[in-house]
Amino acid sequence: MNAVPFSLRRVVITGLGFVTPIGNDRSTVTAHLRAGRHGLAPVVFLGNPNLPVKVAGTVKDFTVDSTSWRDWRWPAEYEIPRETLRGLAPHGVYALCAVMQALRDAGLSEEAVAGDDATGLFCASAGSAMMLHHNLAQLHAVRGERGNPMGVVSSIAGTLNFNLAAHFRITGAVCGFVSACASASHALGYACDEIQLGRLRRVIVVGAEELNAETLLPFAAMRALSSASDPVLASRPFDQGRDGFVGAGGAVVLILEEAGLAAERGARIQAEVAGWGQAADGHSMAVSHPGGAGLRLAMQRALAQSGVKPGEVDYVNAHGTSTQVGDRAEALALRSLFTEAGARPRVSSTKALTGHPLSLAGAMEAAFCVLALTEGFIPGNPHLVTPDPACEGLDLPRAAVDRAPRIVLNNSSGFGGSNVCHVLRTPAESPA
Amino acid sequence: MLPPSVSDSIAQLQRFPLEIRDAYRSFRSTGDIAALHMVVLAVVRDYMPQPAETPLTDEMRLIEDLGYDSLAVAETVFFLEDLLQVRIENKELLQVRTVGELRGFVTRKVEQKPPAAA
Repeated sequence: MNAVPFSLRRVVITGLGFVTPIGNDRSTVTAHLRAGRHGLAPVVFLGNPNLPVKVAGTVKDFTVDSTSWRDWRWPAEYEIPRETLRGLAPHGVYALCAVMQALRDAGLSEEAVAGDDATGLFCASAGSAMMLHHNLAQLHAVRGERGNPMGVVSSIAGTLNFNLAAHFRITGAVCGFVSACASASHALGYACDEIQLGRLRRVIVVGAEELNAETLLPFAAMRALSSASDPVLASRPFDQGRDGFVGAGGAVVLILEEAGLAAERGARIQAEVAGWGQAADGHSMAVSHPGGAGLRLAMQRALAQSGVKPGEVDYVNAHGTSTQVGDRAEALALRSLFTEAGARPRVSSTKALTGHPLSLAGAMEAAFCVLALTEGFIPGNPHLVTPDPACEGLDLPRAAVDRAPRIVLNNSSGFGGSNVCHVLRTPAESPA
Repeated sequence: MLPPSVSDSIAQLQRFPLEIRDAYRSFRSTGDIAALHMVVLAVVRDYMPQPAETPLTDEMRLIEDLGYDSLAVAETVFFLEDLLQVRIENKELLQVRTVGELRGFVTRKVEQKPPAAA
């Protein structure tokens, strides 16, 4: 256990791994974010072209549509043993590859984390509705007499942590987070706490989701999805004409380390997590508080822990899913916190480019914030034409801004009024 | 529930080589136990968590020699139960430790239950 006192222990990000609709590696993702190039593609679910779901943020170069792992395909650079495959859900394949990529980015070997009591694994996913449905249908067909022995570990919420912990031989800690679209943000937040408390010195934070009928269509039943077939019109957060979110899949991984550990091993420090905050709406099981009260409090708490004033924030990666109620609530929360304090950070929702990958969103967008900090740019809102009047006073750049931010916020909101905000900053901005 | 037809079961064996599917057809039409044994060996190999090309012998222990864990044993049993329409109890499973014991056990199971007509 390291002896650095709580207040001095800093949490840094040393590795990123991407399997996203806008690219499966760091440089492709950066290029898409800079150019405002989306990763949405036409989709048909359940063979039914009449469904009001026309486009989605698809993952390229992976084939995981089947309920049998024997049919799955992934890029050749990743080696996945049969022993691991047999227990995975489809999004577990994305996640496994993203962890391998993030470890490489962090300059860590798999041997370095295997059996290391200082390394933990925090995961976020909603499980695999497709696998669960398939396995239960099999069980029903034989009136409960037999079922797939891998049915539980390949489908329930927790499937990511079960399988990744076994594959990477994680001994520090393993845990899963389920707070809908705030899940991965919670995983990242609590990972910071564990490091600051001195319980762990490194946490692999994973968010992942599948994109298939079972995951996405239930949201169509809630009337939460865009029915547009033109990708540019389908996902347009903060635009007056927005009509719902666009689904997405993928996996993103961040390697968090205690700054002292990162320094000891000479790791490249990409960003610091200066703090985080969370708060709840106390309002509805699925609809945001109309004034964004919980999100405002989450941002305030994140800024307070970080010792950052609203005027010091250069960029906010908004949750902005492109739903009428959610985007308005977030816009009002941002105005109340920043505009009223005379601050005007750049604000954008990168879900215009990726769609909304549910549990994964918080990790994906935290990683995009790290790219903004390390590569020196601010992502824009390329699909925004007519901003909602609720956004009055917010700075919503259309194109990416070629200016290096120093302090950025990452917002996430999930069902049940769960709101999380992270503050990230460049290592140069960290207090000595 | 009606037993599956041969064509349903053959679909379950789709990922196996033609000779294994032929062996299964032969077992279903003639009750040829040697053909059944070929199928069982192919299934054992298919569920090894760490695949290897070494020939399988009756003496090989599933766990110690072939790298099986209890989940892989359960997967193998689930597949054989479905394929052969037999039911294997947990306590029966505990007595199966080697490839040969599995082969003999499956033989006794199907002999208790004549193959369904095509």
